Amino acid sequence: MMNLGQTRHALAVRAFLLALGLSGCGRPFAVTTPPSMIELEQQTDYAYRAMTPDGVVLGVRVADSGKTDAAFWSQAVTLHMKELSGYAFLATADVATADGVPGKELRFGHDESNRPYQYVVRLFVLGQRLFVVEAGGTKEEMDRARPAVDRAMGSIRLR
Amino acid sequence: MVEAMLETLRYGGSTIARLILLGVLLGACGGAYARMPEPAAPASATAPAPAPAAGLPEPAPYDGFAMADESAPAPASGAGPVFAQLAKGHPSVPAPAKPHAPGSAAPAPATLPGAATEPPPAATAQPPRREALLVYTATLVLAVYQVDVSLSRIEDLARTVGGYLASRTDTSIVVRVPRARFQEALGEVVKLGDVLHRDIEAQDVSDQVVDLEARLRNARAVRDRLAQLLQGASATKDALEIEKELARVMGEIEVMEGKLQLLLDKVAYSTVTVQFQPLRTSDVHAMARLPFPWLEDLGLARLLQVK
Repeated sequence: MMNLGQTRHALAVRAFLLALGLSGCGRPFAVTTPPSMIELEQQTDYAYRAMTPDGVVLGVRVADSGKTDAAFWSQAVTLHMKELSGYAFLATADVATADGVPGKELRFGHDESNRPYQYVVRLFVLGQRLFVVEAGGTKEEMDRARPAVDRAMGSIRLR
Repeated sequence: MVEAMLETLRYGGSTIARLILLGVLLGACGGAYARMPEPAAPASATAPAPAPAAGLPEPAPYDGFAMADESAPAPASGAGPVFAQLAKGHPSVPAPAKPHAPGSAAPAPATLPGAATEPPPAATAQPPRREALLVYTATLVLAVYQVDVSLSRIEDLARTVGGYLASRTDTSIVVRVPRARFQEALGEVVKLGDVLHRDIEAQDVSDQVVDLEARLRNARAVRDRLAQLLQGASATKDALEIEKELARVMGEIEVMEGKLQLLLDKVAYSTVTVQFQPLRTSDVHAMARLPFPWLEDLGLARLLQVK
């Protein structure tokens, strides 16, 4: 039997945990921001966005999956980036979230003002949700930030 | 008519008359005489020319001034290995002064005009069939990521297949590759990016080569005859006239040798021009787009626009 004090303590713990959960702003995913990046607050277009001091940005968006799978969106994104946005398709790979949801990674290249840029997109589908994880920056900075970006992308858990 | 003139040249007439006839013949170098059937054409074949007179130098290898207006200059170090093979046994072509680095993977074309040193068998009156001499040129427009990297890759590729760099700018490159590896080189180049435009041309220069060879043979015969006349000239005036004519003929021979060398180099080495341009963004909405706004927002522009 719990006394009143114990009940209050349990309620407080639950409230704290709830508050902790809510601190993710209702995101349907969890991501760990690596020490070399800072999470940006109040991002309207992105559910999550973080960046390194030298300009490599990581972003996560959540969209309607349209009841289709990651392979479909992988093809759609590739076509869009290549044919409409003028990006060079570099590579693709099978990836998974930290909690084992399979997805696709697409790597693109783009020259802007004679500087090469890299753009990485990971796509995951879970139920009705499509998770679009993006990272980009100049090639030089992306190469440098690659471990941090990979760590952040690999830390994503979908709930 | 021409043969009669030659007879006059060989067996009779005064020195001045011979000179006039020589001038007429030389003027017709590219004309009817030059186009006579090959086995009978060269005067030197029936009357072996004597060695040039002492003090008369052999024509120096052509220095290339006639190539100045050509768009594809010969390599700085001389013609390539294929050209060396082309020129081998080719009496009308001076051997390159400094051949390219030897490349075993650059085989020469199968046959060459004028390369045969043996006369055709008497039984077969028809001239031997020759492989067409084709000058291959390719122009590709590629959309790639990292233009400078692609430029270097093409340069390396050209060297790998036994070719060389002809020119390079920030956004384009011209390489020459051995004809035998032209297709292979093209296959590698198109792997570097998206091909936006492809233009491949094969120009048959067999006629030009045959014509030049015939004109060269004739000019050399005239040169040799002039040298012979010079040896026998007794009057100073005659000798001066002959020397003047001889210099002119030798100049023409050098020009023709240069042209022939250039043509054979173009045959031996195909020209590949690659221009790079950024990947285009589609202006025409020919493709139906998926109606998802986030797709339109994908890309670095939005991602990197932090606030």
